[in-house]
Formats: sequence, C-alpha cells, structure tokens
Amino acid sequence: MKGNPIYKREMTVSSRSFRLALALLVFNGILALVALLNMYSTMVQVRVTAEIQYKSFLDLYIFVAVLEFLMLIFIMPAITAGAVSGERERRTLDLMLSTKMSAAQIVLGKLAASLSTMMVLIISSFPILALVFVYGGVTVRDIGILLVCYGAAALFAGSLGICCSAVFGKTTFSTVAAYGLMGIIVGGTYGINQLALFFSRMPGGAYLTSQTAETATGSSGGFLYLLLFNPTTTFVMTMTRLTGREQLGGGIVRWFGNHGESIVSRNWVGCSVMIQILMAALLVRTAVRAVGPGKK
Amino acid sequence: MLKIRNLRKAYGNYHAVDGLNMDIADGALYGFVGPNGAGKTTTIKIISGLLLPDGGTVEIDGMDALANPSQMKEKIGYVPDYFGVYDNLKVWEYMEFFAACYGLEGLMARRRSQTLLEQVGLEDKIDFFVDGLSRGMKQRLCLARALLHEPVLLVLDEPAAGLDPRTRLEFRETVRELNKQGMTVLLSSHLLSDLAELCTDVGIIESGKMLMEGEIEEIIEKIHISKPVIITIYKNMPQALSILKEHPLVRSISVKGQEIMVQFLGSERQESGLLTSLVEAGVQVKSFMREPGNLETVFMQLTSHEKERVVLSYEGESDL
Repeated sequence: MKGNPIYKREMTVSSRSFRLALALLVFNGILALVALLNMYSTMVQVRVTAEIQYKSFLDLYIFVAVLEFLMLIFIMPAITAGAVSGERERRTLDLMLSTKMSAAQIVLGKLAASLSTMMVLIISSFPILALVFVYGGVTVRDIGILLVCYGAAALFAGSLGICCSAVFGKTTFSTVAAYGLMGIIVGGTYGINQLALFFSRMPGGAYLTSQTAETATGSSGGFLYLLLFNPTTTFVMTMTRLTGREQLGGGIVRWFGNHGESIVSRNWVGCSVMIQILMAALLVRTAVRAVGPGKK
Repeated sequence: MLKIRNLRKAYGNYHAVDGLNMDIADGALYGFVGPNGAGKTTTIKIISGLLLPDGGTVEIDGMDALANPSQMKEKIGYVPDYFGVYDNLKVWEYMEFFAACYGLEGLMARRRSQTLLEQVGLEDKIDFFVDGLSRGMKQRLCLARALLHEPVLLVLDEPAAGLDPRTRLEFRETVRELNKQGMTVLLSSHLLSDLAELCTDVGIIESGKMLMEGEIEEIIEKIHISKPVIITIYKNMPQALSILKEHPLVRSISVKGQEIMVQFLGSERQESGLLTSLVEAGVQVKSFMREPGNLETVFMQLTSHEKERVVLSYEGESDL
C-alpha cells in the first residue's frame, strides 16, 4: 500500500491538516480526563474505606474500549463516505482515472488512508488503556484480540462508507446512506431478533410449539445468525471473553432465548470477524465497479 | 493518430453520440466544435477511457483503444474543462502525485515535473499551494500534469473556458508550441475564433453526429461556394438574367429590385469569370460580391440550418 500514490497523498494531506491534530487532542483529552478522574476517585475511596476497588480499573478498561469502538463505528463511515464522492465533487476523480491508476487502486488507497487515520487515533490512546496494566488483569494478548476486533469493525464500517461514497454522487447522500445502513446493521439485526423472540414467546407462537422442554421459553431461532453481521455484537462478545463479565453479553446464545450450543456460537468472534471481512470485500468490489469507467 | 468509427453512446433514450466518425492525422491540431449538448464531452470522455461506449471503435496510433484501456491511457494526455485541484497540496506535490499515478517515481518524476513546469511558466510557483493559484495558472498546471507521461495525443476539453483574454492567448500559444513540437492535439471549444486561428483541422458535431470534418481551409472553401453571390445591376437586367440562367454553375436565381441573388457553385476564379462575361455582354454591374465564409458562419450554417434560410429570407424573390 506504501506504493499507492493515493495513499501517500492522503497521508501527506491529512498529516498536514490541523484537523487530525485536533481530533487526537480532543479524543485523548476526553479519555485521559475520564481515566484520571477514575483513578482519583479510587484513591479517595482508598483513603476513606482503606479498600482498593480493583474493579474500577477494569471499568476504566471497558470504558476506554467502548469509547474507541463507538468512535470506530460512528467516525469511520463519516471519514470514508466522502472519500470518493469528495473526489467527484472536486472533479479530481476523472483526472485520476485518466491515468494508469485503476479503480481498485483508487478505492483501496482511499480505504487504507482512512484506516490508517483511524488506527493513529486508536494507537494514540493506548497509553491511557495501559493504565490498567499498573494493576494487572488485562494482558497484552487481550489488547491484541481487541485490536483484531477493532480492525474488522473498522474495515467493515470503512468499506460500507466507501461503497456508499462510490455509489452516490454527493457526499451528503453517501454519508446519510452509510449511517442509515450502519444503523440497519447494528440496530436492525438486534431489532429483528427481539421481534422474533417476542413472537416466539406469544402463546401458540410458531417457535414455542416446536420447542423442546429445555427451550420452552422461546428464542429468536435462525435470526440469531444475522447478528454475525453486526460488529457491535462481535465487540460485546470480545469484551465478555476478555473481562469475564457475563452480564455484558451473557453469551449471544442467552440474549435472545435459548439457542443451545453450536460451532458458530462457540466461535462467535472468529465467525463474525470472518463474515465482516467478507462483507467488506464485497462492499469494496461494489465500490470499484461504481468508480471504474462505466455507463454513466 | 485517432480513428473513430460509428461511435455510439446513449443515456436512456437520449443519444449523446450517434454513429460518430472522426479522423485525426498525426501532428494535427484538431478543433472539435459543436453547440452545447452536441456530444463533444461524451466523445472526449470515451477517447480518454473515462466512459464506455455502447458501440463503435476507437483506434489510437493503430491500437484498439477500447480493448486496451491501460495502454491507451499511456498515449493520451487529458485536460478537462475544469481544474481539478486539491487543497493542502503544493504544486510540486501535485505534479509528483500525478507522476506516480503514471508510474513515474523519484528523480525521473522530479525532473519531468520541473521541465514541464518550466514549459508552462510555473517554475517559480513550485512551493505554492495549488489552491492558491490563479485560474490561468491552474489551467497551465493541468496542462503540465497531462503531459507528465509524454502522451502522443493531447485531448483538451474546452480548456479556455472562464479564462481572461490574455491568459487565453498565452494558453493558445502554449498549445500551438506543443503542436509545433509534433504533438497531435484534439481541442474542443466554443470559441470559434480561437479554433479558426489555431487549428489545422476541424470537426463540427451536432446531436452526436459529425456534420463536417476536414482541413479548415477546405471547409471554409466548401461553405464559401454555398453562400450566394449578390449582384446589383445598374443597367441591362434582362441580359444579366439571361447569362446567369445559361451558366452551368448557377443553381438558382432570385431577384429583388435591382439585386440578383445567385446560388453559384464555382470557385473564386470562376466567380471572376462570371463577372467578366456579364461585363463583356454589356451588363452594367454596380456591385458583385459573395458573403465571406469563416468558421463561425460555417458553424452557424451547419448547426442552425442557415443554408436553407439564406435563400428563403429574401423578400419578393422569384426563382427562375
């Protein structure tokens, strides 16, 4: 990717821009403030009760991780939704396409630049995340797993944004479309499962009649697997495993009724990461087709 | 250099390019003229590989351009009717970025950029931000960008649009200089006076069809003979009409008072012969003239069917 001129140009421009520095300052400032307040309150508690609440350090870790994830999910589409449409609006896309650059190189260069910017933000916050190492409980491996989860979510959200940007001519439309689709994926898959669970629990519900005694409380059935597309579920499952707090996710299996054990539910994080990477590949392919010299 | 046959492109029911044929010879400076919506930009976009046609062939330097888009792009330098510049990018960075897009890196890219910036007169602006350049400078920068990979065909789509007269003149000179150096240039424009002075060849397009194409003098000559000869007779009108009626190159005659409008399909030399024969037959001629033909009249005539109107607009005409 280093050899991609678009990636190089995007990195030059973004590193020169004041916006990146400001985003780094604001984002890390908020995280640092919350982290330091958390540590201060723990210290005050120690003075009052002579008891160290180790749990609060884990809360800090969860807080930082959740904040970073939300940022990924909500900022990534905004960054990428203007990537191709912005070039169209500046009327530089045709200039690039008139060179030897292929549509795939343009789309991938743009996506890689957006991911790099996002990774700069995430990695810059690691010192704050590392505060929890002072008291232990979170290993470097845990952080690595979290990074993989972030990477998949960022790739998925970024590809969604870039696909909308390539398909829709204007940045405003592509941004609305990217957020709309992300909303459907995050909220929609959850809503469908809730609805399915609700109907299955109704007297005489289709599911209830087919349940065994063990699962008589109903479940969302096969709709559960729609959640594999939902990066929020992947993140919650990752955090559940990392922190051991079942109440966080409680295991997807128990979220929407009793589903029983399966290979997918046992390897939920791995499966969903794979599906999201595949989805990202499909979205990038769609973007490449929309950017290339076509019928328009 | 460029050969287009039966090129077609439709947007729904609208045929932007409809069976277009075009031939551009090596080293030509070809003016591509047509009213708005005639299909110029669509044609140029197809030539530049930015749009796929519905049918037809495009050959550049003997190569099927549609089958080899990547090789075709190496041969074409494309300058659109807009600047297409980035904020926060300096002139040298802009040039090196596009050089990299053409596969030129490092010292080679730097040298090529430097040479071209000198050629377009921007060598002292290399550390300026592109966005801060004037329109004329941006246009020259775009021209330099299009020449980075040493194309054999330079395609300019309305490059002078929005430029002031002085900048337009300078830009025209740069294009002329490039053409003198052997580069084939395809230039689309609405500024017919610019094309007439600059181009060696011209193609007139309307509704996606090529109406007329050829060397500029040839076209003006063709249109010249289609213009009527207006003869004002001082004395001996019947004799004048009798001579004109018998002349083999006279297609139609209309009379209004002492004025005769003749559709005469002859060259300037034959026009002079007609005048001599009238005078020798004792006709006293007060004036004898043919409306001059220039690219603008050619364009107007072809695109607004002026040809028919010239004859029909005469009051009290009496076709003999």
